[in-house]
This record gives sequence, structure tokens and C-alpha cells, in this order.
Amino acid sequence: MRVILAEDSTLLREGLVRLLAEEGHEVIAATADAEALLTAVAADPPDVAVVDVRMPPTHTDEGLRAALDIRRRHPGVGVLVLSQYVEKRYATDLLSTHSRGVGYLLKDRVAQVQEFLDALERVGSGGAAFDPEVVRQLLARTTHVDPLNDLTARERDVLAEMAQGHTNLAIAGRLHVSRSAVEKHINAIFDKLRLPRDGGYSRRVLAVLRYLGS
Amino acid sequence: MTRFVRHGAGGVRLAVGVALGALTSTAELVFLLLTGPVLLVRRTPPHFVTAAARRLVRIERTRLTALLGAGENGEAGDRRVLAYLAVRWPVGLLGGGVLFLLLYGAVTTVAVLAGWLYGGRPDGIAPTWPILVYLFAAATVLLFLDLAGLAAVAAFERGLVRRFLGPDERALMRARIAELSASRAGIVAAVDAERRRIERDLHDGLQQRLVALGMLLGRARRNESRDLLRQAHEESRRALEELRDIAWRVYPAALDDLGLRDALATVAERCAVPVRVHCDLPDRPIKQVETAAYFTVREAVTNAAKHSGATLIDVSILRRGTLVIVMITDDGAGGADPGGGGLSGLARRVAALDGRFRVSSPAGGPTVVTAELPCA
Repeated sequence: MRVILAEDSTLLREGLVRLLAEEGHEVIAATADAEALLTAVAADPPDVAVVDVRMPPTHTDEGLRAALDIRRRHPGVGVLVLSQYVEKRYATDLLSTHSRGVGYLLKDRVAQVQEFLDALERVGSGGAAFDPEVVRQLLARTTHVDPLNDLTARERDVLAEMAQGHTNLAIAGRLHVSRSAVEKHINAIFDKLRLPRDGGYSRRVLAVLRYLGS
Repeated sequence: MTRFVRHGAGGVRLAVGVALGALTSTAELVFLLLTGPVLLVRRTPPHFVTAAARRLVRIERTRLTALLGAGENGEAGDRRVLAYLAVRWPVGLLGGGVLFLLLYGAVTTVAVLAGWLYGGRPDGIAPTWPILVYLFAAATVLLFLDLAGLAAVAAFERGLVRRFLGPDERALMRARIAELSASRAGIVAAVDAERRRIERDLHDGLQQRLVALGMLLGRARRNESRDLLRQAHEESRRALEELRDIAWRVYPAALDDLGLRDALATVAERCAVPVRVHCDLPDRPIKQVETAAYFTVREAVTNAAKHSGATLIDVSILRRGTLVIVMITDDGAGGADPGGGGLSGLARRVAALDGRFRVSSPAGGPTVVTAELPCA
């Protein structure tokens, strides 16, 4: 995959460049701030832009704004946002405008090399990737009218896996059940949450997340 | 003997002060009689009246501070000035009366004694022993009463000046409350800024290192590479150093255990620019003062090393009376901004302890940062 990085910590930037190179990805550019990132993406659109939320000059949410910008201007480029904390608003910002090729990971997740690489692959191929922690927090909103309360424990597990952007096949593997069982659970979830049954898995994930984050 | 002379001089000064006070009160009485009608008609006194009143008050103040030992010098409004003159003149006349009695007594005593010495009989009284004793006792009592009266008039004058022209107690309190509110808000802001800084330190330093470490370990496992493992090991050492560093920046434990001098020695060692520390305190100041002094030095030294291009930084800490005085001088380019993040935080910290904080940093240097911390 062709990747552009934006991360202000030299240490991490270098580490990411090496890791991606070892995995056979091509790092087109590695930048240290949002402006350089936008310039690099415009010059040569990659498959994925990996973007740190906090970057100079203000160290607040430059990276997120740049990511939204990229999604708006270059719909073909996937964005994988790395954040210091789980910020629900960031997740919902990313989700509310785009339904494909977005990811939102906790920065620490990068240390789980395999999970990070999987997320990168999913986002790069037009899917979605959400940090388990993000999903956990979004799912934790339980109110008395929350339709999630209707879900069985198993359905919740499936929903959480799905929300992270995993395919049905992957979910079956992760939960040690058959693929058809997973499909049955998913249909049950959609019925309970009154979601339309169409589109690819990422759209369904995003619909679920959007529903939770609204 | 000298004490006696000093007392005598004080007595003379007092008498002169009261005598002048009697004269000025006549002038004030005339002034009030002339301007009274104007003051009754006009709600706000016209300018020429207040100007004259202020001139009279200036004379009074000079007299009081020079001769009667009054000290207060506040800024009084027009109304208070006029009120003072209105209340003050009878006291002046009273002082005149007391002085007159003193003089009258002295003249009478001299006249009677002289009469007797020249063999006369003043008022037809012969100087027999009982008469002498009786007159001496009466004269002593009267003299004492008169001198006490003089002292009382002077005290009365001092009290009036304090009451009418001294700094207004309520104004003082208001100013103090405003000052306290400001310094309280300032300290809250300083604490918040400090917390933000710590959060940034943790994230931009330590967390990055730990993530990088995790990444190295992940890569090492995937590639089964001893070299990556070695790098990860190095990285873990650096992460620990970073942690120690952040903890030290948050609060140096040495400050509590070993005191200011040792904690500052560490600051000097860690600074890229040579730092000379001169710490001359007879005993350890209270904790808040010690902490404030420490952070003042550290922040100022960091600033100087970062921005001024100094080649030498001098730190001196000494005790002067109830103050601990902290002074940081550098030979850099000057132009430090007292409103900048670090320095304004220090100013707030010092203000919260009722201290004074000054930055002098002309273009071309030298920069001098001074904090005076009350340590009573």
C-alpha cells in the first residue's frame, strides 16, 4: 500500500516508516505537521494517510481537521487517525461525513503492531477500523431506552467486533463460531436496532456507530 | 543627660508645633467664615476653595510631620479636606489656650519669686514656709496638667489627621480584597497551566517513547531480530530516564529532603549555560517560600538558557529582614517578556505569597529577575 504519515514526534515517525517498509508498504512522505501533510496528499494521493490528531502549532486537533479535509477533497484516500485519547466527538466527526475508508485508533494501539497493520489494511481498502477502546466507550452508553439493552451478550460481542470493522469471516474466527452463526447474529442485531439490510460491512458498521454516537 | 536634652528638645518642638497650630487655626477659621456661604450654596465646592483648602492642609501636614510626629500621608478627597479643616480649627485654638495658660503660669511664678527676692510682698503675701510649700505644690500640679494638655492636643491633632487625611480604612480593605482576588485567580491559572504542561510532558515525551518501544518489540518479534531487540532495550532505558525527568520537573524531591541549596545545584548542573549559585540563608525558610524561590530560579534559568543567549547566569538568594530575596541575572541579549508564559506564571506564584516580582530586561541586557518573598 502507498502511505503518507503525519506524526510530529520524530521517534514515532521514524519507527512507523521502518515498520511499514518492513511490511512491504511504500511510504511516499512522512510529515511533521498538518500543512505539510495536506500538501503531500495533494501532490501524490496515497491509499491511506496515517494522521496524528495532535500536531503543531497548537497541539489540539489539527490532525483531525486535516483528516476531514482529506476525506472531503480526496475521497479516494483513506484516513487512519491516531489519537492520544478516546474522544467520542472525533470518532463521530469522522463518521458523520464519511462512510468509507476511515479509521480511528488510540495511538498506543500502534505498539500492537499486528492490530495496527490490520487496521491500516482495512482503511486502505475502503473499509473501516475503530479502536476496541473507542467501540467499548461508544457501546457503554446505556440508557433505559437504549435498544442495545435488547441485545444478548453474544450479539453484543458480534456488534463490537463488527464495529471495529472486521468482516464476518474474521469475526467468526475471532469468536470461534461458524460464519453462518455470525450472519445470523448480525441479522438479529439489525432487526433489533432497526437498521436497513444492505450495503457492505463498512456501511453497516458505520450505521451502527453513527447510531450509537448520535 | 543626653536623654534629658532629647526630651527637652522634644518638648520644645511640641510647644512650637502647638503654637503654630493655634496660628493656623485662626487662618482656617477666617477661611471657613469667608467660604462658608459659598459652601452652603453650592453642592460641590468650587475649585478656588478646594485649592486654598488643600494649601492649608499642606501647611498642616508639614507642621504635623515636622513637629508633632504624625506619619500618615494618604490621598484625601475634597470633602474630607474641608471636613478636616472644619473639625480641626477648634483643636488648634484649644492648643493656643493651653499654651497661654503655660505662659501665664510661668510669668506669674517669675513675678512672685522676683517680688519676694527684692523684699516686696506681691498681693500682700509674705513668703512664710507654709505659703511657699502650698504655692510650690499648686504650681507643680498646674504645670503637670498643662504639659499633659499639650501632649493631649498633639495626640488629638495626630488622630484627626489620621482620621480625615490618612488612607481610608475601607479603601485600603477594598484594595486588599481586589489584590487577593487577583492573586487567587492567578494562582488557579498558574496551577492549570502547570497541569497542562505536565500532561504535555507525559504525552509528548514518555508516551511517545513507550509506543516506540512497543513498536520496536513488535517488529523484533515479527522479524526475530536481535538487533531490534537491542534497540528496544535501549529505548526502555530512555523511557525510564524520561520518566525520571518528568517527575523531577513536576517536583524535585531533593527540595524537601536537602533544601534549596542542593535542589538548585541540580538545576545548575542540568543547565546548558554555566550557572553560579550563591545561596546565603541563615536558616531554612518556610516551605511555600522555599518552593516559590526554587521554581522562580528554575524558570528564570530555563528562560535565560533558552532565549537570551547568555554565557553566564548568576543566582543569588539572601535574607534581608523578613524577606527572602531571589535574584537571577544573566548576561544575555535582554528583551525578556514579563507577560510570557513562564515569567507571568512566576509573577502569579510570587503575588500569591504577597511578594514582589520584577523583571528588568532592557534590549542588549542584562536581564535581572527579582522576587522578594515575605517570610515572617
